[in-house]
Amino acid sequence: MQPQLKSKVRCTDREIGEVTKVIVDPLSHQISHIVVSMNGSGERQVAMALVQTVTDSTVQLRNTSSEIVALPPFNRAEYVSTHEVEIAHLEDKLHVTPGEVLVPFPELEKNVKRRTFFMNFTHAIGFLIGLPIAFPILRYLMKPMYAPFDNGWLKIGNVGKIKSDDIGVQFKYRKKVKEAYLPEAEVEKNIWILKATPAVLEKVYQGKDMEFRDATGKPVWTNKKDIPYVAFSGKCPHLGCGYKWRKHKVLGQVFLCPCHLSIYDASGKVLDGPAPRPLDALPIKVSASGEVEIIDMEFKAGTKSQIRIV
Amino acid sequence: MAQSSLPSTEPTVIEKVVAFVDERIGLKQMQAKMLNEPVPGGSRWAYVFGSVLLFIFIMQAVTGILLMFYYVPTADHAYASTQYIIHDVDYGWFLLSYHFWGSTAMVVCVFAHMSQVFLWGAYKPPREMIWLVGLALFGIVMGFGFTGYLLPWDQRAYWATTVGVEIMDKTPLVGDFMARFLKGGPTPGQMTLSRFFVIHVMILPAALMGLAGLHLFLFRAAGPAGPFRGTPEEIRAKTDYFFPRQVWKDIVGMAVVFASICALAFWEPVVLLEEATPDPGEYHPEPEWYFLFLFQLLRLKVFAGEFGQFLGAIALPGAFMALLAALPFIDRDPERNIFKRPIALISWIAVMTAILLFTVSAIINREFLD
Repeated sequence: MQPQLKSKVRCTDREIGEVTKVIVDPLSHQISHIVVSMNGSGERQVAMALVQTVTDSTVQLRNTSSEIVALPPFNRAEYVSTHEVEIAHLEDKLHVTPGEVLVPFPELEKNVKRRTFFMNFTHAIGFLIGLPIAFPILRYLMKPMYAPFDNGWLKIGNVGKIKSDDIGVQFKYRKKVKEAYLPEAEVEKNIWILKATPAVLEKVYQGKDMEFRDATGKPVWTNKKDIPYVAFSGKCPHLGCGYKWRKHKVLGQVFLCPCHLSIYDASGKVLDGPAPRPLDALPIKVSASGEVEIIDMEFKAGTKSQIRIV
Repeated sequence: MAQSSLPSTEPTVIEKVVAFVDERIGLKQMQAKMLNEPVPGGSRWAYVFGSVLLFIFIMQAVTGILLMFYYVPTADHAYASTQYIIHDVDYGWFLLSYHFWGSTAMVVCVFAHMSQVFLWGAYKPPREMIWLVGLALFGIVMGFGFTGYLLPWDQRAYWATTVGVEIMDKTPLVGDFMARFLKGGPTPGQMTLSRFFVIHVMILPAALMGLAGLHLFLFRAAGPAGPFRGTPEEIRAKTDYFFPRQVWKDIVGMAVVFASICALAFWEPVVLLEEATPDPGEYHPEPEWYFLFLFQLLRLKVFAGEFGQFLGAIALPGAFMALLAALPFIDRDPERNIFKRPIALISWIAVMTAILLFTVSAIINREFLD
């Protein structure tokens, strides 16, 4: 039978107190000692070898009370409770609940004074492992994020298909893309070209030639204000959808974006809806035979000013 | 023959195996602890959503893994491999459609689960941390929807991503970096597909499993909140364990959800549009229905212009999520009865009505676009 907590402890001559804790050997799972409260005069740690018999409510010792009192006082700091250590299957072997079940704090651990230091040291080493890889990981993931602008001219068709002035005409074209390791592919894109009357042209250019620059600020092309062909990027400046040339009940013929219902007039000016800026005019070149070339620029959507991203 | 008539006391092989495992890891105790959780006030149909969500997630993981047997996440093969799953692989259409409708079921159940917790006042102390982790899980579910949408690489996928990332771009200071980081470049392409794929099949599932585990751990640590009405005696009298009554209700809930997803997959299987390309053609871009109200919100005149867009796309949803996160700390009143919390009840009705109205108006708007 295992000694129970709160059991009375009797010596050969008299009762000396009760069991307050039991101490377990962490490897054999056997109770090695009991801790006895000496009726208010401290606690003593008594080896199981001194125990003669154990009943439900009493523990009988082989020694006299004076021998037990002569034992050194119990030192709690030398033990940890079973809540603080991981000992598998302990509950299966031990039936002393409720109360404190202790196991000895290992000798090697007692001499370690600077536990907080070691804990912080561990964190510091972990941090030092993480630090040198953080930057390479960030650079690794950022690799494709910023690409140089492509200022090459792209043939997109012939203005001969434009039949009347101030009407948005969509030109679809295929653009070759070469992304990283992938084979070269073609994507479909579109822009809108307008053969503008002088009044609309004035609204687009506001009396000034339109200059386009590359990433370094060097001019790449200037749209002359008196050339009647105007090209608008197919990307809606609101949130980047593709807009259409539609008839509006009140506003007449307009550019309309089906996403968030931004409406622009033929000159690209915002008539209604949430768009923050007019349609983006692109660099355009029209040859004598009517062949159109553009520089396929893209601008960030949703901003008041034009910020080029492609 | 004589022996068979006697009741056998010899353990069967299965019993021996169970005993063997039990001796080593405490299987029976673990099972008992899982099933014998007291449910204050007794089991209820209203409590099924958490378990149902776990079930939906497991099914999404299973169907998702199966889809990856054929799917190729490259710009030149994503569309073709998805079409192959739909048209050529036996039951591919079903697994893909199940995965698609499963995501919808996930969003519906997340809304139901959050509403139930909100209406029952179950986010109040000591359950604040469960609520916070739950909000993070909500974000992950939305992230799953957003990233998964791109993977078939059709026009619907391409344009939902284009607009969605442009919206993120409007975040002050970090927006441009975030948008480029997600796209892996200035415009959507192979890098975007790769990134969304990794996020969808590795990062989000790992995050969801970890956080869902934490969510459950915290739930078990705090215990179920129970009903918001009734005296302690009444609640004690009706209390039962998680098993069998609540488990029964949960499994019925799962079966109903499973049957609904199967039915939707059967009658409304996924059909792809044209392959993704930066020319939308005749397609009118639109996000998945559960993002429609946000989409419609951005059509409003008050959210026009650069600042308006920031308000509608970033500030308003951000403030709403921040409010939800702060809720257990603002709402210090211990009263849990929803009928004695007029502000909470009115707010819930207002938010739900607003979402419904905006969604419906987005659907009505479709007609005027063709």
